[in-house]
Amino acid sequence: MARRYDTRTTIFSPEGRLYQVEYAMEAISQAGTALGILAKDGIVIVAEKKVTSKLLESTTTSEKVYLLNDNVICGVAGMTADANILINYSRQVAQQYLLSYGEDIPVEQLVQRLCDLKQGYTQYGGLRPYGVSFIYAGYDSHHQFQLYHSDPSGNYGGWKATCIGANNASAQSLLKQDYKDEITLHESKLLALKVLSKTMDTTTLTSDKLEFATLHLNAEGKVVHQFYKSEEIDVLIKEHNEKKSNEED
Amino acid sequence: MECLFGLVGKDFAITVSDATSIQSIVVMKHTEDKSRNLNKHIIMLYAGEPGDTVNFAEYIQRNVRFYEIKNGIELSPQAAAKFTRRQVAESLRSRQPYSVNLLIAGYDVKTEASQLYWIDYLGSLIEIPFAAHGYGAYYVTSVLDRYYYPQISLDEAKVLIKKCIDELKTRFFINLSNFKIKVSNKDGIQEIVL
Amino acid sequence: MSSEIDEYNGGSVLAMLGKNCVAIASDKRFGMKLMTLGTEFPKIFQATDKIYIAMAGLATDIQTLSELIRYKINMYKLREEREIEPTTLAYMVASTLYERRFSPYYVSPLIAGLDKNNKPYICNMDLIGCVTTTNDFVVGGAADDCLLGTCEALYEPDLEPEDLFETISQSLISAVDRNAASGWGAVVHVLTPERVITRTLKTRQD
Repeated sequence: MARRYDTRTTIFSPEGRLYQVEYAMEAISQAGTALGILAKDGIVIVAEKKVTSKLLESTTTSEKVYLLNDNVICGVAGMTADANILINYSRQVAQQYLLSYGEDIPVEQLVQRLCDLKQGYTQYGGLRPYGVSFIYAGYDSHHQFQLYHSDPSGNYGGWKATCIGANNASAQSLLKQDYKDEITLHESKLLALKVLSKTMDTTTLTSDKLEFATLHLNAEGKVVHQFYKSEEIDVLIKEHNEKKSNEED
Repeated sequence: MECLFGLVGKDFAITVSDATSIQSIVVMKHTEDKSRNLNKHIIMLYAGEPGDTVNFAEYIQRNVRFYEIKNGIELSPQAAAKFTRRQVAESLRSRQPYSVNLLIAGYDVKTEASQLYWIDYLGSLIEIPFAAHGYGAYYVTSVLDRYYYPQISLDEAKVLIKKCIDELKTRFFINLSNFKIKVSNKDGIQEIVL
Repeated sequence: MSSEIDEYNGGSVLAMLGKNCVAIASDKRFGMKLMTLGTEFPKIFQATDKIYIAMAGLATDIQTLSELIRYKINMYKLREEREIEPTTLAYMVASTLYERRFSPYYVSPLIAGLDKNNKPYICNMDLIGCVTTTNDFVVGGAADDCLLGTCEALYEPDLEPEDLFETISQSLISAVDRNAASGWGAVVHVLTPERVITRTLKTRQD
């Protein structure tokens, strides 16, 4: 049945579905997990790297977590090639806004602009949608720290904690269980590791399988982002393991 | 021949525009308002080529309004001024540039401070405590240089504005009989009479 | 006074090479021909931690071009995941100017910075992006001919940061005090491998 309605993005099936878009989302749910947690004093984004060969020469310092603008970072799940196009697009949008208004783009507007682009590919014929979901962590003076999620259909929403990619349903329910409104940035880092340790295929967490980034305010009240080096991730993993063994005792 | 000026006080900005509308050598009107409110807190004064002025001012006004409806947030005076400057600068190198001089004054709700921006038809933008456009600038800036001080109160600013207008009436050879005066502060924009 | 459009708003800029350091300076005036309107007009822009770019000329073009260069520097940094080098920036600015070959931005840009090995670099370019790299000093703006004279008289090679600061400051002050379109205070940045020294100067207030 589906075969008649899934060759083009522009055609609804009789049940009112856009199969190409759903297939794109299916592709994402097989990609490495990326999750974000909004704390009262910052945001953390953690992503699971799928390709970790010793022989791989990494071209960029990160493959799943990117800086979009001084006030926004994002985590990616899905096709990296598609993501690169969208990341470049959103960087241009952010810089264009800076050119027009002389200040950083509000986070939601950046998310919206990217989603407008994604939505276009669910409607105009002959093209496939972008096979990428994003988690955005951002700060602006209007709504302070914000966490957003967007999918290939062009839908987006604000979250306190959310997850995309493989096992996102179980990760989501773990987040729901353990999230508290008054969570601090440090607690949220450990929570992120806890969730990933349970949802990832590997039994033990290692820094070479993770990408870790945070957004917080510095002493002058200016927003700063931090991409963690593997040694810094190791420190967090160690703390996580100690906490875990304490709880088991 | 038109005259626009304004100044910034502790927590307000006050603007003055002459209310004379001239065609050739004829005064057509004594009650022309050469300003538009961009939002609840931002005033934009304009002078220049007739036709260009109102068209450009309303283009900016509607774009600011559109931004606020679309995004549900208010534009700061600085963002509005930067946006306006870019529009003028882009127009300068187009086939038919706008010939408009502007003053943008407003109260920033977030920083709880007032600002005044001076923009000329070339698209140069400066933020200054007091500013003026037109021939009137030669008289008004001298008076403001002498009597203005930062953190001036609204009552004293009104007295100072009166001084500036009196100077124009005695020394400027064109009879600017009437002025529109507006104040922007945390409560919004009001037109006042001295 | 010149009726040229590049001297309509006034203003002057200057950069000097020292021993393992560079200095860049500008006045603060903004005017319309002989009338002074602003006394806090920025003409020096930070490109990276170790590179500054100064521009004199038509104010609207200084603002438009500095914003455009900021856009390009930010995109470069995001894409390359490293800071831009002074020579790369110079040619980025130059090609941006040459794109407008037949309706140019009326500016004289200067670039001063330390490269990744902390080797000092200065250059200037004309309004259509012809780059000149020197190993002593570069000048631009309404008082450029005065500046050339004062620099020629006061400059000596291999100055330490504090001496370079004194030399660039005196060169700038002497020149802008004789130029009606420049002055109303000045800003000086001295870039060393360790830090950037930023000072404001008071000059003749007329």
